[in-house]
Amino acid sequence: MNASIRLSLTSLRAHRRRFAGTFLAVFLGVAFLAGTLVMGDTLRAGFDSMFGEATSGTDAVVRGADAITTPGEAQGVRRPVDTSLVKTVERVPGVAAAVPNIQGAAQLVGSDGKPVGGQGPPTLAGNWITDTRLNPYRLAEGRAPAESGEVVVNRGAAKKGGLKIGDTTILRTPDPVRVTVVGLATFGGQDGMAQVTFTGMTRADAEKYLTARPGQAASIAVRAEPGVSQRDLVHRLTPVLPKGVEAITGQQSAQENTDMISSQFLTIFTTFLLVFSGVALLVATFSIHNTFAIVVAQRTRENALLRALGAARRQVTAAALAEACLVALTASLAGLAGGIGVAAGLQALFPAIGFPFPDGNLVIKTLSMVLPLAVGIVVCLGSALLPARRAGRTAPLAALRETAVDTAGASRVRAIAGSVLGALALATTLTGVLVSPSVWLAGLGALLALAAFVVLGPVAATTAVRLLGGPLDRLRGVTGSLARRNALRSPKRTAATASALMIGVAVVSLFTVFGASLKATMDQTVSRSFAGDVAVSSPSFGAGGSGLSPRLAPALQRLPQVDTAVGLGRGVAEVDGRGRALTVTDPSALARTFDLGAVTGSLRDLGTDGIAITRKEADRQHLHTGDTARLTFTDGRTEGFTVRAVYGQSELAGDYVITRAAWAPHRTQDADTVIAVTFKHGVGTDAGKSAVRKVAARYGNPSVQTRDEYAQSSAGGIDMMLTLVYALLALAVVIALLGIANTLTLALHERTRELGLLRAVGQTRAQLRAMVRWESVLVAAFGTAGGLGLGAFLGWVLVKASDGASDTAFAFALPPARLAVVALVGLTAGALAGLRPARRAARLDVLRAIATE
Amino acid sequence: MTATTALRAASRVVDAVKVYGGGDTAVRALDGVDVSFPAGRFTAIMGPSGSGKSTLMHCAAGLDTLTSGAAYIGDTELGTLDDRRLTLLRRDRVGFVFQAFNLVPTLTVAENITLPLDLAGRRGDREWIDALVDVVGLRDRLHHRPSELSGGQQQRVAVARAFAGKPDVVFADEPTGNLDSRSGAEVLGLLGSAVRDMDRTVVMVTHDPVAAAHADEVLFLADGRLVDRMESPTPDKVLDRMKAFEVRS
Repeated sequence: MNASIRLSLTSLRAHRRRFAGTFLAVFLGVAFLAGTLVMGDTLRAGFDSMFGEATSGTDAVVRGADAITTPGEAQGVRRPVDTSLVKTVERVPGVAAAVPNIQGAAQLVGSDGKPVGGQGPPTLAGNWITDTRLNPYRLAEGRAPAESGEVVVNRGAAKKGGLKIGDTTILRTPDPVRVTVVGLATFGGQDGMAQVTFTGMTRADAEKYLTARPGQAASIAVRAEPGVSQRDLVHRLTPVLPKGVEAITGQQSAQENTDMISSQFLTIFTTFLLVFSGVALLVATFSIHNTFAIVVAQRTRENALLRALGAARRQVTAAALAEACLVALTASLAGLAGGIGVAAGLQALFPAIGFPFPDGNLVIKTLSMVLPLAVGIVVCLGSALLPARRAGRTAPLAALRETAVDTAGASRVRAIAGSVLGALALATTLTGVLVSPSVWLAGLGALLALAAFVVLGPVAATTAVRLLGGPLDRLRGVTGSLARRNALRSPKRTAATASALMIGVAVVSLFTVFGASLKATMDQTVSRSFAGDVAVSSPSFGAGGSGLSPRLAPALQRLPQVDTAVGLGRGVAEVDGRGRALTVTDPSALARTFDLGAVTGSLRDLGTDGIAITRKEADRQHLHTGDTARLTFTDGRTEGFTVRAVYGQSELAGDYVITRAAWAPHRTQDADTVIAVTFKHGVGTDAGKSAVRKVAARYGNPSVQTRDEYAQSSAGGIDMMLTLVYALLALAVVIALLGIANTLTLALHERTRELGLLRAVGQTRAQLRAMVRWESVLVAAFGTAGGLGLGAFLGWVLVKASDGASDTAFAFALPPARLAVVALVGLTAGALAGLRPARRAARLDVLRAIATE
Repeated sequence: MTATTALRAASRVVDAVKVYGGGDTAVRALDGVDVSFPAGRFTAIMGPSGSGKSTLMHCAAGLDTLTSGAAYIGDTELGTLDDRRLTLLRRDRVGFVFQAFNLVPTLTVAENITLPLDLAGRRGDREWIDALVDVVGLRDRLHHRPSELSGGQQQRVAVARAFAGKPDVVFADEPTGNLDSRSGAEVLGLLGSAVRDMDRTVVMVTHDPVAAAHADEVLFLADGRLVDRMESPTPDKVLDRMKAFEVRS
């Protein structure tokens, strides 16, 4: 066997414990990465087969050809098709059956009175298609709806809402409709299409409640006669279709649906997880590097002896690298197995928390194994490269000297390089934030800042630990004093150990600060633009929910307490070649409940051919009052609208405002997203609110909130996101912990004799444990402090850069309570990391420790 | 032995047996030793390598436990104490000077001297400590780190630390083993004057006849047994006695 490899093998065997931390860090990072990839592939495959199965009976889909997609939306709005087209399609040779598919948004109210779903995935309703092969849903229990008011609900939604066959409940279409559940359905063998809720009603009900006018359907599902291929069918259908209507194969339609789910949910989900495994691996890099550096330093004598005996520089370096390679390989391989375990665990866990994870075996692609393996090895070897080179450079004479731990403070070069880097970071960031706003420049600055922090760590370590540990002397006497000085022994090592935690804490703080700023922004927006007394809305998120009944605003307007009740509906149109969201409302009432900023022209008489535009959009398109803006609607019609008003504030009112009358000919399903209500003079908020609530209860019971409550609930989603982010970042913190624990263990190993001496002259085990724990806390405190500083700075950069790059005015907010919690978590982490090394050190046999070479 | 029973024993062992390992490889490091170290005396323990002299000291000082027999500091039997009590006893009633690595590198000279007192949270007798600092001649080095001192200076700090808490007995394990003869003589002089001028008790393990000659009495150990003792030793007498071992072995 090669001498280098034999050396590294024996050394690994002898020092297994030292690499336990490294092994765990690589293992966790790789397992997380591999688990994410495997889970993503498995989910994708699951959805593929689910859609394939559910829509296998559909050979072609006829639908509107063009979709208008507004920014931030995954799925565009399509023009509906006439149901009369079904007759034409049925007559095409080769067509066995054709049925209209009427679809709209509708949210069920559960048995507890709370709406079912709506937090992300769509809440859909449609006609229950009686041709079983064309219906993607299968009846699992009960029967199909036969009379008005009868519905079939997908089993997942029924479970979530606590609904059983025979139950009567409300369906918000958004007009509240009283429905009775007569059947439960499955989709592709599952309880539902992921988290999407579906309510199937009779065709007459669907036409009545889900479309603007009868005779419209979202699409027509077509089944071919035996022997006619899907492609053939599409070829035969295409000539008979009117302009603006297209036919696609069933396969293509299924593919589009899977792609939609992939892009809307899976990609975001997996990208999110990948980013966090990246952070975890970055943190791991620091921990691993530190371990190798210490191990090499401790082995100086051994390496020097090898060199003196004639080992070449290259051989010593190779031995160290081979060692790293072996650790990397075993840890990464174990990580792969762990990753598969993680994915399998999630597959079992998801259904338990009400998230149907498609059945089927885990999909393990080559890439999801090779990539994590490669990343694990590269991270490990990369971290070991410098220490290995240092091992090779050991002078043979070092064998004769006392083993000296690298106690050198930070070099002048480091201080200068770090300062230059820091100055560069600051300059780049400030330029990107203040001078010429650019997210890229700011991002580059942020990266440089991170690098500067890492480089300057050892320079700052001495001062910082002295400062942070100052109170320890007074609080803990000689034990505290010893802990502080131990942390100061090797500033480089302390800094490297703390860096791992610093990065973790910095990312946590960054999200915390950014989240708080978003909330503050939201708050500021509502308080600035919303002039109403209460807001009526149906809390929902993403594509979920069905909005508010359009009849609610007029009903509220009739209340004696109410001065103005204005509903804001949503429409879409293409303006200037881009999909745009329109605010459909009563513009003159809008001006009374929302602060629109400076208005030129008048919102009073927009009529059916007038439009109001924000100044920003008007400037972009060079429009002035009196000019004509051309809007193309989903029905394919293009109309000119006269700009009658230009207003300044767009935050809640949107960029384009038209009247309900103007929208009516093009409308799809009618719904308001929010209703703003102002009370008459002298009406108290509580009295007014309860009056509004009483009326709202009859319209599907949406929430009625005061201005403050509305602002808070608008920001509710941010807290949910933050919680998720914290959960994921816990992994990075755990890896950082392992790093601290590992470094501490190695450092204590170096100090065996000193520990023996301390115990001999009367340090109790408890005192020794406290000393080690406090050292750990100090290192953690240093990392946490750095992380908080860096995170707050990066948060500020992100907020300011977003402010500069977008139209919304971002507010910057530092949440002291939350950051205090982050700091506390960091310190606790330090105390925890110190537990095991402290226990081990306290177990030392005094005599043997003193006698240690 | 009759000569010393009249004096109060600062430390003693009774029928001390220490066995390392077990079965065929068992080694009897101490094989029934009875010895008493009188208060106010400077006792040296000598013997060839493997004679058990270090083991005797470690067991007497509470750093190691006996296989059978008993060890006392004053009237306290060490075998009855748990680790915590043993540690507190070492801290309060025993002083140590080791061959090397006596000082905590992160603490200053002053802090090293008061370390046992600080660990106990006691202020100690400041005048006594002040006097000690002058005796060991390190007043101008109080705020230096151990790494800034010579080997002899480091051992003098260790001596000061050992006496700082006015312990019942100070155990010194080859305190001059790593020093040149001049520095060694200084350290031995300190130990001797602590006993004679300050009424302290010292037990020292050494293999150096010159060092042993500083003691009031020398005990000779061989193969785990007490084989001889010598009052008022001189280097030559000790050397002669030691040569007897070599001849025999």
